[in-house]
Formats: sequence, structure tokens, C-alpha cells
Amino acid sequence: MAASSSSFTLCNHTTLRTLPLRKTLVTKTQFSVPTKSSESNFFGSTLTHSSYISPVSSSSLKGLIFAKVNKGQAAPDFTLKDQNGKPVSLKKYKGKPVVLYFYPADETPGCTKQACAFRDSYEKFKKAGAEVIGISGDDSASHKAFASKYKLPYTLLSDEGNKVRKDWGVPGDLFGALPGRQTYVLDKNGVVQLIYNNQFQPEKHIDETLKFLKAA
Amino acid sequence: EQRLASPPLSNDPTLKSTWTHRLWVAAGCTTLFVSLAKSVIGGFDSHLCLEPALAGYAGYILADLGSGVYHWAIDNYGDESTPVVGTQIEAFQGHHKWPWTITRRQFANNLHALAQVITFTVLPLDLAFNDPVFHGFVCTFAFCILFSQQFHAWAHGTKSKLPPLVVALQDMGLLVSRRQHAEHHRAPYNNNYCIVSGAWNNVLDESKVFEALEMVFYFQLGVRPRSWSEPNSDWIEETEISNNQA
Repeated sequence: MAASSSSFTLCNHTTLRTLPLRKTLVTKTQFSVPTKSSESNFFGSTLTHSSYISPVSSSSLKGLIFAKVNKGQAAPDFTLKDQNGKPVSLKKYKGKPVVLYFYPADETPGCTKQACAFRDSYEKFKKAGAEVIGISGDDSASHKAFASKYKLPYTLLSDEGNKVRKDWGVPGDLFGALPGRQTYVLDKNGVVQLIYNNQFQPEKHIDETLKFLKAA
Repeated sequence: EQRLASPPLSNDPTLKSTWTHRLWVAAGCTTLFVSLAKSVIGGFDSHLCLEPALAGYAGYILADLGSGVYHWAIDNYGDESTPVVGTQIEAFQGHHKWPWTITRRQFANNLHALAQVITFTVLPLDLAFNDPVFHGFVCTFAFCILFSQQFHAWAHGTKSKLPPLVVALQDMGLLVSRRQHAEHHRAPYNNNYCIVSGAWNNVLDESKVFEALEMVFYFQLGVRPRSWSEPNSDWIEETEISNNQA
């Protein structure tokens, strides 16, 4: 399960808890601040939800939290363009662990820190046999500029329109005002083994995934 | 624009106080004094002592937060053509290039812009309200905002040239310290924005409040803050450039 240990845990938590009943919210643009009508929906869904889940155990709660792509589930395949405009499918990486990190955008401070931290530990990921893939809503040209500016040795995928982000159910931060920063570790069979979410401590994604890969 | 093109010389007339500057500072201080008087007299009349004092303390603490938010906003957004605060933005941009200029600026010259703001804000409050607790808050908050540019100038001073009392207050953490504010003038230029007591600096920087706000503005409005871009020559202190070249 995702460890949401950012300084905005409360927000993450509320966002996560509402996810199963967020159908109406999710179909809206992922990053818009909830409007008045969706806000009442927001609080309403929290209430109904908590009264509904109170008798169930925490393990089934974990299942409820990540309605889209959960731990233990085979990651759905997708095909997106990389920084060179070449289409890349997730299934191509079957046979080795994959660290797939969703980040808000190229050239923003947290994302630059995160990308550079993945770059600096890239050898360690290779040693663990893992592939690192970054994914955001920026286009291939933006990814190319970002990757060459910071000499990023791994693939950046262009999820224009944030379709994959929505399909995977990556939760937003600050009530949906920010695209979430969430990393998935898939095993060599493409099954999700770790989900880690932390918007404001981007370097922790590297520590947590490396720790997990080493332990696995 | 001309002010940004070259650093003002120490005898530059733009650093000197004019009578208009002095009048604005006097007007600002008068509105503060009226607010203080209403708080003290009102407090005596209604036998309140603790509440106005606590409100005053809250004013001091919150003024530091206010100075930080304002300083962050004008450092990162807008330019000299921005309505109302354009001159302030231009001045703060110039301040990043020639930080030491503030120490050569005369007192009223440095404070007159904030004194105008205080006059226009506190005068109506003086006329409209009599509550001693409210004025306890207003007078310290407005005093700290008006004098924040003086505290800021002191933060740029050298220990040997500052009055010993100022150094003592800085060392006690009651006024923004020279060390803390020096951090603000180093890359990545995105921290330590508060210039009254500096009490909020660690809180704001560690909780990444400004970073979160910058991200929200970027994703909701598409505006990039200045501190995200590589520091250009306008932001790097000129002495640093010459050091790097040497």
C-alpha cells in the first residue's frame, strides 16, 4: 500500500478515502479544484464511505483505497511516446522489475529534484535489474529538452491528456489542485508490488523504491 | 528600467530622503500612534490589560508572516508594469542585484512606500473602530510592517556598524537575523522571505508552503514563479559575478 508520508498527509488521506466514490470527480479534469457541487459530493462521499467501511478490516480497506491499479494486481498495459517520439509499451519490460513514476511536470523544482535523484541512483537500479520510467502529461519535445538538460539516462513517457494517470487512478494533491506524485514498482511479471505517494519529498521515491527492490 | 541597468552610487539622489518621503513616514507613524493610543486608553477605561497585549503580540508574530507572503509574491510574480505594486517589484528585483544598496538608502526613502500603505489602511481603522484589543493588534502589526524595511536594512548591515541594541535583538531572534536573511540572497533564492522577526522562515520553508503555492499557481493558472528559472544576471548579486569571473 502507498505510504503517504508527505507533510500534507491529511489532504492525501482525504483524497484517497474518497477515491472509490469519486466517479464524478475523476471524470472531471483531474487537476481542477473541486467546484461547489463536487465539494458537497466530496464531503458527502467521505461520510457515506466511512459509515460503510467502519466494520471492514484494514486489509479490505487497502483494496478500496486504490480503486484503479492496486498492489498485487497486474498493471494494465499502455503505449505512450518516449522523449524521442517513439511509441513504448509497458509490456515490453516484462521479465524485469519496473519503477514507473508519475510526476506532475517537467521543469518544476520537485520534479527536477526527483528526476535528478533517479539519475544519480540509476546504477543502483540497474544493479537491481530494474528499469526506471518517468511519466507525466508533457509532450515528447518537453521530455527531450528536460532529459537532455539534466542528462537523464532513462525513459520519459508522454501521457498527453493524462489518460494513463486517470486510468491508473493516481490521486491528486491539495484537493486535486496538483497532479499527484506516485511511484509504482512492478515485478518481472508486471504485477504491482509497491505504490508510494509523496508530493513534497520527491527524493524519498528513490530511497523507498530502492529499499524495496533490494529487499525483494 | 534605468535603475536596474546600473547600481546607484552611494551619493545617488535616488537613495536620499525627500520631504515627501518624510511626510509619508510621519503620516504613517501618526496613524500608528492613534491606534496605539486607542488601545492603551481603551484598555485602561475598560480595565483590559492582558487582551490588548496578547493581541499586540499576535500582531508582531503575524506581521512577520505577512512580510514573508508579500515578499515571496513580489519576488516571484509580476514585473514593473504590474498595477499598484509594480515599483515595489522593480525595487525588489534591483535589490537582488545590488543587495547592499539598501544599507545606503536613507531612512525615510526606504520606508515611505510602506508608510503610504499603512496610512491608507490604518487611518480608516482609526476612525471606524475603538476596540482596544483590535487596536492592540493593528498598531503592532502595522508598526512591524511599516518598519520591516528598516529591519530588512539592518539584516544587510555588518555587526560592527549596527547599533549594539539592534545586534542584540537580531541575536535574540526578535528581529530577522543577518545570517537568516543572507540565505535569502543565495541560490536557489526561494527561502527565508520573512523580514520582521524571521520567526516564520523555518516553519514556511520546512513545510514547503511556498513551493506548494507555486505548484498550485502553475497547474491552475499556468504561471511560473521567477525562482524556478535559472537565476539570470538580474538575480545574481554583481559581486558574485565578478568573483566567478576572477
